[in-house]
Amino acid sequence: MQIKAAESTPVRIDASRFAVFWQSFRKNPAGPVGFWMLVFVIIIAIFAPWLTPYEQSSSASVGVADIYQPPNAEHWLGTDDAGQDVFTNFIYGARISLFVGFFAAFISIVIGGVFGLVAGFFGGRWETFLMRFTDVMLVIPDLPLMVVIVAITKPSIMNIILVIGILGWTTTARVVRSQTLAVKSRKFVLRARAIGAGKRHIVTRHILPLVMPILVVQAVLAISLAILNESALAFIGLGDPSALSWGQMLNYAFGRGAMSAGAWWALVVPGFGIVWVVLALTLLGQGLEQVLNPRLDTHHLMPGRPKVGGQAQGGALPNDVILDVRNISIHYINDGSPPARAVENISFSLRKGELMGLVGESGCGKTTLMLALLKLLPAAGQIVNGNVYYKGKDLTSMNEDEINQIRWSRISIIFQGAMNALNPVRTVGDQIAEVILKHEPNFPKPRLTDRVNELLDLVGIASDHREHFPHQYSGGMRQRAMIAMALACNPDVVIADEPTTALDVMIQAQILQLLNDLRKKLGLSVIFVTHDLGVVAELCDKALVMYGGMTAEYADVDVTYNSPKHPYTQELLKAFPDLTKPKKKLSAIPGYPPRLDSLPPGCRFAPRCPAAFDRCQREEPALHKIESGHFASCHLLEASK
Amino acid sequence: MESFGFIIPQKRYPLDRTRAILRKTAWAIFTIIFVIILNFFLFRVLPGDPARAGVRDPRLKKEAIEALQIKFGLDKPVINCFETLNPIKVGSCTVNPMETQFFIYVRNLLQGELGISYHTNRPVAEILAQRLGNTILLIGAGQILSIIIGVVFGIFAAWKARTAIDYGALAVSLMAWSLPTFWLAILLLFWGSAIGLPVAGKATPGMSSMPIFAQWADIAKHMFLPTLTYTIIYMGEYTLIMRSSLMDVLSEDYILTAKAKGLNAVQILRDHALKNAMLPMVTVIAINLGFTVAGAIQIETVFSWPGLGSSVAEAVERRDFPVLQGAFLLIAVTVILANLLADLTYTYLDPRVEVE
Amino acid sequence: MTIKQFEKFLEVRGLKKYFEAGRPTLFSREKSLIHAVDGVDLNLRRSEIIALVGESGCGKSTLGLLLMGLESPTDGKVIFEDRDITHLNDDQRKDLRRKIQMVFQDPYESLNPTQTIEQILTEPLLVHHIGEHDQERSERVIKAMEDAGLKPADVYLQRYPHELSGGQRQRVVIAAALVLEPEIIIADEPVSMLDVSIRAEVINLLADLRIKREIAVIFITHDLGSVGFFADRVAVMYLGRIVEIGAMLEVLEKPQHPYTKALLSVIPAPNPRLRHERIILQGDPPNPINIPSGCRFHPRCPAAFDMCKLSDPPMMTLTKSHKAACLLISSGK
Repeated sequence: MQIKAAESTPVRIDASRFAVFWQSFRKNPAGPVGFWMLVFVIIIAIFAPWLTPYEQSSSASVGVADIYQPPNAEHWLGTDDAGQDVFTNFIYGARISLFVGFFAAFISIVIGGVFGLVAGFFGGRWETFLMRFTDVMLVIPDLPLMVVIVAITKPSIMNIILVIGILGWTTTARVVRSQTLAVKSRKFVLRARAIGAGKRHIVTRHILPLVMPILVVQAVLAISLAILNESALAFIGLGDPSALSWGQMLNYAFGRGAMSAGAWWALVVPGFGIVWVVLALTLLGQGLEQVLNPRLDTHHLMPGRPKVGGQAQGGALPNDVILDVRNISIHYINDGSPPARAVENISFSLRKGELMGLVGESGCGKTTLMLALLKLLPAAGQIVNGNVYYKGKDLTSMNEDEINQIRWSRISIIFQGAMNALNPVRTVGDQIAEVILKHEPNFPKPRLTDRVNELLDLVGIASDHREHFPHQYSGGMRQRAMIAMALACNPDVVIADEPTTALDVMIQAQILQLLNDLRKKLGLSVIFVTHDLGVVAELCDKALVMYGGMTAEYADVDVTYNSPKHPYTQELLKAFPDLTKPKKKLSAIPGYPPRLDSLPPGCRFAPRCPAAFDRCQREEPALHKIESGHFASCHLLEASK
Repeated sequence: MESFGFIIPQKRYPLDRTRAILRKTAWAIFTIIFVIILNFFLFRVLPGDPARAGVRDPRLKKEAIEALQIKFGLDKPVINCFETLNPIKVGSCTVNPMETQFFIYVRNLLQGELGISYHTNRPVAEILAQRLGNTILLIGAGQILSIIIGVVFGIFAAWKARTAIDYGALAVSLMAWSLPTFWLAILLLFWGSAIGLPVAGKATPGMSSMPIFAQWADIAKHMFLPTLTYTIIYMGEYTLIMRSSLMDVLSEDYILTAKAKGLNAVQILRDHALKNAMLPMVTVIAINLGFTVAGAIQIETVFSWPGLGSSVAEAVERRDFPVLQGAFLLIAVTVILANLLADLTYTYLDPRVEVE
Repeated sequence: MTIKQFEKFLEVRGLKKYFEAGRPTLFSREKSLIHAVDGVDLNLRRSEIIALVGESGCGKSTLGLLLMGLESPTDGKVIFEDRDITHLNDDQRKDLRRKIQMVFQDPYESLNPTQTIEQILTEPLLVHHIGEHDQERSERVIKAMEDAGLKPADVYLQRYPHELSGGQRQRVVIAAALVLEPEIIIADEPVSMLDVSIRAEVINLLADLRIKREIAVIFITHDLGSVGFFADRVAVMYLGRIVEIGAMLEVLEKPQHPYTKALLSVIPAPNPRLRHERIILQGDPPNPINIPSGCRFHPRCPAAFDMCKLSDPPMMTLTKSHKAACLLISSGK
């Protein structure tokens, strides 16, 4: 690539961005279908004079016989009440309906856009005033008001456009305002202010580019609404008699006996035009919306993919092993791309009362692994090998009803970010009671409240908070409530998935202390998922270090920290600050963790590994047993044997 | 300030709810006042000045005109000093504010006087009072049906996302949403008259002598087509909104929590998803009320349903401005009150009442 | 370029910032104040690195915004190069921006997704009308990128932020601050969103800049552990006040304020053999609306005694380079 001198203005159209847009626009067929449907109508409207067999609104000789002729060779779509050719009027009608739609929508969008932008960006009195006004106008029904104004003034086409346009801005103003507020509160706007940029610069360079796309979607919807409104006005008798729009055609036909004459063509054809355009615009709007604001099209109730592979594995286990995970591999299957190998061949066993740390950077597959234990993977995830034994029973081969008996009652999960993990519209106490009743349907009702209070007390929440909703709790309290819920059915195993990540240091310390005390008191086995090496050192008995979906090293914590064998573990420890040696410079690991959809061919750590050699680039290392209870996957270990 | 990571302790929320209700009610009242003022000026200030035009109706006798002028204060200035809002006369302002047109308009309004129809010479209030009930009957039935059908379709579409059920529901909804209301009404009118359903009015003439039960059955028959039109038109939008709202809820973390708790799909939908997904629906229903009136005007016109909507269309046709003015006021106030009701329902449903 | 010597490089005196919590509405006129920053004194020397530590809500981020002039203080002064910068007009403020720059916490949010890296980095130069022509600007941009560790620069210029990893983005943010050749960088939690293996890289980069470009850094963080090796001094904030300030090693080895002691004790040591007793403060972070009487730390303080409820402790000088505000010190206990 050649270094180009920067153009004087940094704004330019970048072909690759458009290509990216078009690519994601095409993914959902609705958008392109709507787009081409609309283009088709626009072409027809533009080329109307060349497409039509007759002059516009021409009815050379109107005799009784010419009125409401059914479709025939001369008049493909029949004639109307004035003996005019319906096909010709239909084609010309597209011009008028589209003109009204585009013009009125333009007015609405400009007014709504300016109001929304001013209210959102400047805030204060302007915002209060404009938004109150918008709210008031939003409640007043549109069409009746349009009817009144057009009826009092004059139903000329310009009047109609103005009225529809001026009354149609409210939704746009609201949407633009909230988008402006959202963009304004983003950090890059604050950064632009920190650079010294003025208001005008911020609006034109930072706010508008991000508000524009929303405005386009709004415009598309506004056009369709304007066309519908115009046709409704025309139908009520407030159309411009000199401009034969589709709505006006329908008004004449309905009002002048098409019904009794059985002239369905005069009624069906113009209506079909309106449906075609509105449907096109709706599809286009949906397609654009999907690109700008991609919504997940998956959710937690979609059936998971059935497990493949992984025959039951025999072998006696020590009695105190509660959970035994063997050679589990999980892939994410996305149509059209190779499967992402999120977790590959991981094994560990958890003893009664043991606290195991699962450490890794973001995207290393640690959460995926935990979800797989209870078959909670998202729809794209699939267990492609391995087994999870809970007290000798294979969880991976259970059906939904069977696993529901194990979920929470035997193995429960404390999720990251308890704000989102608790249902916002049910009280905390109610959500705890729910799970008790689910797994012990015969639990005596009168004892239920006491039991919930007991659980809350266990985690240090006063029982008068039982009836409160999650949003009334502080962050630390929510996490405590989550822990109380996890303990509600006296499980054997608790999985804690980054339970303290979003919390403050001191609250984090409180929660860790609580968890540690509880597991000692209740004899729980805990899997603690974290990215924080310090927490593992402080708390855990064993540590499983993951890198790029694989086990890097699995050992007792003392071994992990004092005689690590995998280069990743070693490097990670060097990058971690140690207050006992405050002057030691931290050493960074060069490069970045791999993306699961583009894994390197050999060892996944090889590109960042200081000790990598040829073989690491080619071949994935196997998991080597170094001594009892200490495993690591690195080619170096084989060489040293 | 977003730099604070902690939660500022909430005040106890029953207080917040009371405040929210009071605030919303106050705004509804304000909006109604705004509409009353708007309604007054629309009919007096816009070019054409229909308020006077009516009095100049050549069919009326001179005495009748004078009586009307006095009754509605048309001989008085519009507002305090301005004759037809013309600021030139400001200097010679001697008018008592109680004797302006605006004041008389408001006073008449408070007494339930909406004027006299040019067309029938009957009081507008009397005409519209009969019709309001019919419109509420139609809109009520249509809304309830379309909400129920939309919600059910939406639930299935979201639950069975990316299956034939979902795509089918989406296609039907998008289609329904794109139909012009009056056009669908016309098509159904065609179909209805072909199979012999009543297609006009509210009741068969002469039914009033029949037993009450037979009368109801007759009304129900007449209501069938208008209600069907109504239901189809609004069902599509409700399906789309319910689907996307439920899709959002079902991908939330607390649904994963519910699943991890061992609840099955039906339990999760019933206990954790529906209420949350219905909240945006309530908002949409509230906002939609204004649009449903637009539907009513068109449907009532096609099926000659004797409601407020068809009286709007008739008033337009006959240039009967007092009726138009009264109908607009009545429609707007009804919508504002219905909107307030929906808003208050929301306040009741969502524990996270936002005061700001 | 000779650096003019100023008596004061950056000095903060009695700085206060109160926000209103909840606007008065139709039905209630009550209004309460959030005491975000409540009387801060601080002195920054040229090319010095100060770590500003505290829990969320202690006002450390607000203090950063005040120093940047992105919020205006309720009271107090910020003196930069012998001039009070709290009440500047727009032009003076703009000039000042060139000298004080900021790096934000979230590298995913602090870059405009619709701009290329080149546009992002050229923007500050265009705003300040720096550079005669494109060539000159482009040279400055490339130099800043190389100093920020984005080498070779031309690989990145035409990329969009979403194509870069978190660490690379944070380097872009730092480069965008460097193009203006500032004298002070205020870094608000610049590494807390990054993965552990990448944090060290960004921290090392800031440490190097001090040596290469003589930039002073105010490093705002909740994690004392990560700044130990490169900060010269550390200031501990609690509820809008600095409660202890001193040379890094001195504070780490002999913390005086009970709050500092607790903060230090909860930092986990990266070795299970060094597990130690932790002083865990109970309850939630305090609420800056209702500031406790006397010493604002007393409700959570494990060492509090009667006097603490009554008397607000003054800042006591312990050594030439170490101060703390606690009645245990002033009462000689």
